[in-house]
Amino acid sequence: MATLRQDRIRKGLNITLFLAPVIVLFVLFFLFPLFFTAQTSLMKWKGIGEMEFIGLKNFERMFGDDTFQLALKNNLIWALASGFIQVPLALLVALILNRKPKGWGALRTIFFLPNVISAVAIAMMWTQIYNPGHGLLNTILAPFFPQLAQFHWLGDVSTSLGAVIAQSVIYIGYFMIILMAAATNIPDELYEAAQLDGATSWQQEWKITIPMLRGTLVTAATLAMAYGIRHFEATFLMTGGGPAHSTTTMGIILYQQMDELQYGRAGAVAIILIAFGTGMIVLLRALFGNKDPMSDASQ
Amino acid sequence: MKQTTGSQKIPGFLLKWTVLSLFLILTLMPFLWLLISSLKTTFEIESGGFSFPASLQFINYVNAVSIANLPLLFTNSVLVAVLAVALNVAVGSLAAFVLAREQFPGRDFLYVALTAGILIPIISFLVPYFILITRIGLYNNLISLILIYAAVNIPVTVFLITSFMKAIPKEMEEAAVMDGCTFSTRFWRIILPLAQSGLATAGTFCFIYAWNEFILAMLFTSSESTRTVQLGIRFFQSQFQTDYGPMFAAIMLSILPTVAVYVFMHNKIISGLTAGAVKG
Repeated sequence: MATLRQDRIRKGLNITLFLAPVIVLFVLFFLFPLFFTAQTSLMKWKGIGEMEFIGLKNFERMFGDDTFQLALKNNLIWALASGFIQVPLALLVALILNRKPKGWGALRTIFFLPNVISAVAIAMMWTQIYNPGHGLLNTILAPFFPQLAQFHWLGDVSTSLGAVIAQSVIYIGYFMIILMAAATNIPDELYEAAQLDGATSWQQEWKITIPMLRGTLVTAATLAMAYGIRHFEATFLMTGGGPAHSTTTMGIILYQQMDELQYGRAGAVAIILIAFGTGMIVLLRALFGNKDPMSDASQ
Repeated sequence: MKQTTGSQKIPGFLLKWTVLSLFLILTLMPFLWLLISSLKTTFEIESGGFSFPASLQFINYVNAVSIANLPLLFTNSVLVAVLAVALNVAVGSLAAFVLAREQFPGRDFLYVALTAGILIPIISFLVPYFILITRIGLYNNLISLILIYAAVNIPVTVFLITSFMKAIPKEMEEAAVMDGCTFSTRFWRIILPLAQSGLATAGTFCFIYAWNEFILAMLFTSSESTRTVQLGIRFFQSQFQTDYGPMFAAIMLSILPTVAVYVFMHNKIISGLTAGAVKG
């Protein structure tokens, strides 16, 4: 009996030791930041001295601010573009590659490639592609639209947001992989039966693949929209939110508030970001009964 | 009958390859343009276009290495990425072992809590991370980046390694327990070797993240001696303003490590994403 008890204590000790490092990292870099952000969002605080409790004033101030409203609108455009342009394009490519045409494996590998390249390199590359003088885009367009030869895509308020969003289409490989993986789970018998009934490829995709992928499509679109809400890096690197705030996003505003030592307001923006960016996914999971938080593994 | 399927197949075939070619061009053209531009003179770049250089300007790469002090930047980035991966995979596999192979109260809750970290936009933690790093005296110290990169990737790593360790058959362990194997021997000698593939997948994701990360590195370091590659090429954008050739060369060199990792590990990356997708 004594040894059994000793065994249990030893096992408990072992489990605790194995979990201790992960819990330390998790508390320091997830739990503490979460509580700290929630706390500062209700405070007036500039990083030094006492925090002063001001209730929801930071939130009122942000929602009442013209630039923040613009950021919210831009994030919404980002979210819609990601969910309803990126994901359908990814679906189109996934459907084609799922039929295993010649070289499909290599194409799948290449289409995912931009996802492993740093945002800094990609942003610098696109800044050059959009360059009004020697950029690739204007060089291609100039013969057809001579009036665009010197057009500054990122510098003009009418095109800046579109230009930053348009380059994000190179990231569809991520959603393509998720959709291709889900499509391999569709039983072959469904297609065999459809073929016997004389259904064409397009009819099979339309009547079998797409309906069977519905759940994954909803997940992919939700993830894409959540990424649209969080969007920060490419904009920060390509335009910094300008010109005239035309490309600003909530992430950019968070950074700017932090830069001005407005930690309370930065906290409020962070809470709004978490509420929208995380709440959307949690809501979807609740609706579709999927409790596993992990349906993506990168970014 | 044959005729109709034949005539239906030709437009389908055309459409299919048009879509694939368009995406292939869209994906690869920016990189090709970058590569070609990195071998041009600045004058050739400024005259624009997709033309090939009159002679290949490998000197751009030599200049990039010296102007941007690439050896130092690469040393810093390799140090940060490798140590972050080591810490992340070590901590993650210890936890994953217990989560996958032991019964204890609160296990499922802990697993969900750890993996739910993936849902948090890290950008919303800029202020608390900054406060934490300055308070523990790690500002402008690469250790801060190693800690944060390792921690930020914990949700993905715990998810991946736990699912690999769960897949190992019980019998593999039972024989060892019979032989009087201790808790830690089971981990080191049996489970860890069998979960190698999971460790490699998790490590690959962490490496790519750590190599590419920019905003935290920008906020938490301030001197030239602690600059990472991403910061270096970003800062030298201003220095290269009138000298595009070396700038393109520096960008090319900065993406080589992740491209190399991708070339060797793309199957693991794709299967790692697939593991997540099938569950989700």
